[in-house]
Amino acid sequence: MTSSFQHIVRLEKVDMTFGRVQALTQVDFEVGRNEIVGLIGDNGAGKSTLIKIVSGVQRPTAGNVYVRDRRLDLEDYSVRTAHDLKIETVHQGQTLGEKQPLWRNLFVGRQIVDRFGFIDVKKEKEIANQLLLKAIGFRGHGITADSTVRDLSGGERQGIAIARAMYFKADLIVLDEPTTALAVNEVRKVLAFVEGVKTAGGSCIYIEHNLAHVHEIADRLVVLDRGRTVLQFAKGEITLTELTQHMISLHEGHAHASA
Amino acid sequence: MRARDSWLRRILRVEGLPITFVLLLLVVAFMIASPDVFLGYFIYMSFLTSVPPLLILAVGLTLVIAAGEIDLSFPSIMALSGWLLGYSVHELHSPWIGLALALLGGAIVGLVNGVLIARVGIPSIIATLATQFLWGGLTTAFSEGVSYSLGSVDETFVWSLFVGRIGPFPVSALWALAVAVAMWLVLNRRRFGEHLLFIGDNARVAEVVGVNVAREKIRMFVLMGVLAAFASVLLTLENKNFFNTQGSGYLLDVMAAVFIGGTSVFGGQASVVGTIAGSFIISMVDAGLVATGVQGYWVRAAVGAVFLAAVVGNMAIQDPERWESIRRRLGLTRSAPR
Amino acid sequence: MKLFSSSTLAAAIAAVAFLATPPAQADEKLGAGITMYFQMGGNPGDGSTLPRTNGARAAAAALGVSLKEQYSGWQPETMLKQFRDAMAASPGCIEIMGHPGNDAFASLVADAEKRNIVITSGNSPLTKLKDEYTATGFGYAGVDLYEGGKLTAQKMIEYGNLKKGDKALEYGLRAQAERGKSDQGLYDTLKAAGLDVDYIEISPEVDHDSSLAVPILTAYIQKHPDLKAIGTQHGNVTAFIGKALQDSGKKPGEVIVGGIDLSPATIEGLKKGYISVTLDQQLYLQGFLPVLQCVLSKKYGFAGLSTNTGAGVVTPKSIGALVPLIDKGIR
Repeated sequence: MTSSFQHIVRLEKVDMTFGRVQALTQVDFEVGRNEIVGLIGDNGAGKSTLIKIVSGVQRPTAGNVYVRDRRLDLEDYSVRTAHDLKIETVHQGQTLGEKQPLWRNLFVGRQIVDRFGFIDVKKEKEIANQLLLKAIGFRGHGITADSTVRDLSGGERQGIAIARAMYFKADLIVLDEPTTALAVNEVRKVLAFVEGVKTAGGSCIYIEHNLAHVHEIADRLVVLDRGRTVLQFAKGEITLTELTQHMISLHEGHAHASA
Repeated sequence: MRARDSWLRRILRVEGLPITFVLLLLVVAFMIASPDVFLGYFIYMSFLTSVPPLLILAVGLTLVIAAGEIDLSFPSIMALSGWLLGYSVHELHSPWIGLALALLGGAIVGLVNGVLIARVGIPSIIATLATQFLWGGLTTAFSEGVSYSLGSVDETFVWSLFVGRIGPFPVSALWALAVAVAMWLVLNRRRFGEHLLFIGDNARVAEVVGVNVAREKIRMFVLMGVLAAFASVLLTLENKNFFNTQGSGYLLDVMAAVFIGGTSVFGGQASVVGTIAGSFIISMVDAGLVATGVQGYWVRAAVGAVFLAAVVGNMAIQDPERWESIRRRLGLTRSAPR
Repeated sequence: MKLFSSSTLAAAIAAVAFLATPPAQADEKLGAGITMYFQMGGNPGDGSTLPRTNGARAAAAALGVSLKEQYSGWQPETMLKQFRDAMAASPGCIEIMGHPGNDAFASLVADAEKRNIVITSGNSPLTKLKDEYTATGFGYAGVDLYEGGKLTAQKMIEYGNLKKGDKALEYGLRAQAERGKSDQGLYDTLKAAGLDVDYIEISPEVDHDSSLAVPILTAYIQKHPDLKAIGTQHGNVTAFIGKALQDSGKKPGEVIVGGIDLSPATIEGLKKGYISVTLDQQLYLQGFLPVLQCVLSKKYGFAGLSTNTGAGVVTPKSIGALVPLIDKGIR
């Protein structure tokens, strides 16, 4: 039943505290039904923490999380449940087992099993090899489903992580710095992929340091600073130059504060 | 830029192949040095009798190390389960109850280990070292230091089922093989095993991809406990005796068997086949050297040498980048530094 | 004309033949061609194992026996494993020790006997099996454990003038079926003389690595300042009692100590006077005699001989004469 909902995911007054560090304070954040939201902010602003809450890795210290307008039982919310709710995440940094082959990395946590509970290795490898042909970031030959992640370059690793998210066809895709190790033409492919998600009816949270990219494709921009949402802009509301100025002054604001 | 896979490297990557080759070399060497012993079948039957407990422990430990943990408590599980079995046979006259109690005992020790490590957060090396003392001490206390003879247990069905003979061939070897095959399947073809590999590779990554790290760790330690208990059952039945000190001698041999077999101490990479070969190597070295006439003083040194060579060799095969950087640092390579 | 008479010729031929043959071969050694697997007991070179090893090696060299040494660190299950390995090599003889007990060895020894391997024993007896297989050469070269403990206690009492009501500690392995008899002998004898005897069991850790006994003993000594005597029948533990006494601030002779064997530390203890009497097992004989037994039984079918190798005790007075032999690893 495709219910009509307003926001695919919504955070309401979310706090995240780690010991004495307050990573997020009273954050209200939502992603619409068919919307690309660009999430930007300085290092340490809390972007990755916010993403971890959305993707089920982290449980907030306080506040509520709504998926498709239904409040989640946070005790129950894990990465698995997020996947079941059709939320896929490409985290920044470590999302792949270095010493494990690609076919395991693609399916870990949701393996294809036969009726006895044994992993269908043949099928997983088949699908993996197919994905490799279309995956972003694969420039050379010699990589197969059996290759170990350790043998891959940074760009290839990112390609795998993105391919994984693509394969599992989510309604919400979260991308945390997906283009850092990619070449120019590959970046284009990622941006095209993000737009494609929107065309297919889904939503996307997109985190990037490169303001030009975010500015280009985002329907809405949310700026996070020291754990709080401070600014929001709709598409067209602000030019790239103005956006850059805002970010710089925010950064200098910190410099002044600590001076 | 990764190196192209040479055909040699690809052969070497077949699971357990290099160390099995070393095992065969060793057997051939012993055959040459001591043909009267190693060309007959008796000595191999003797090995097949003594390998099973070692092999079962080593295979269990392989999974634990694959997950990036360690378990030092299994010698005490050997003692505890052996005592439960011995007591049941001696006092209650029921080997079946003994078997059940022994396995249950192992499972409980494993569960305690798992909870301490996965929920309380104590590093496994400390937690299992502590439980080794705890359970070993409790066993000595309850048994008052006494060893039990299992009397005529060799006339029971339990005995024939687990450690009987088919001709000269020990049935316990078949059990050990079955356990090894089962554990290979678990590690390589079951979700649980794959989760262990990812946990050992990088626990953060495992969490992020949806593995319930704490739950899988607890399961793994319980499994190790049950395997250790089973190993103890085989040992105790075979000896027809529960010795109060049993198990303590296995600690280092089991670890040597695992690492000689090629399982990485860093976790995430494990070889059950390698462990099987490693277990045979460890079992054979003592008897082989003695038969060859090498004095007893040299046995440990020989095992140490094999161990080191195996670990270095395995590193060269599995982790070529690390190997390359070591060679460069030692000045053993002619290529220019990157 | 004959140049040489036939007898002269015969003599000449005989002389040449005699001179031409190679010098008479030494008599082939009695045990030539016999292989013997020998359980030495502890770890290579340790105090209670080395003299035994030397004795066995000397006998093997003298008799031409091929000796295969096995070391089990005193672990019974290792001894069983090594016995199986030995059997698999089908040697002429195997020497075993009693630690695993008669029951554990019974079927293994039966198999070996069926295959005509001579089995004999040393250090720790296997009385039941020995009686069963005496005819095929099953002997024993070791101390009569109970008597040994008893003797040690008697000498302790004599040497230290111990009286009724004196406090003593027996630190031993009573839980082990056969081996514990020596501790029982010591304990019973002290008790019978009216002493107030306390008992502590040696833990597996201490059994394996006896330096760990020092803190245990030191604690006990400090807790019982009026302790007059300590007795043990564990060779490696004996070596460390002197240190424990020293660490506790006791002067030599304040506490009467009875032990066993002559490891270097025990000898030091004797010389300094910390150790009062130590039972000499004559470990060398426990190595030498089983090899001899093997050859005699294998070649000529002689029955197993039981020899009590306990000579009596060594005291600070008698140690001097023995030191040169000890240095050579003979005593």
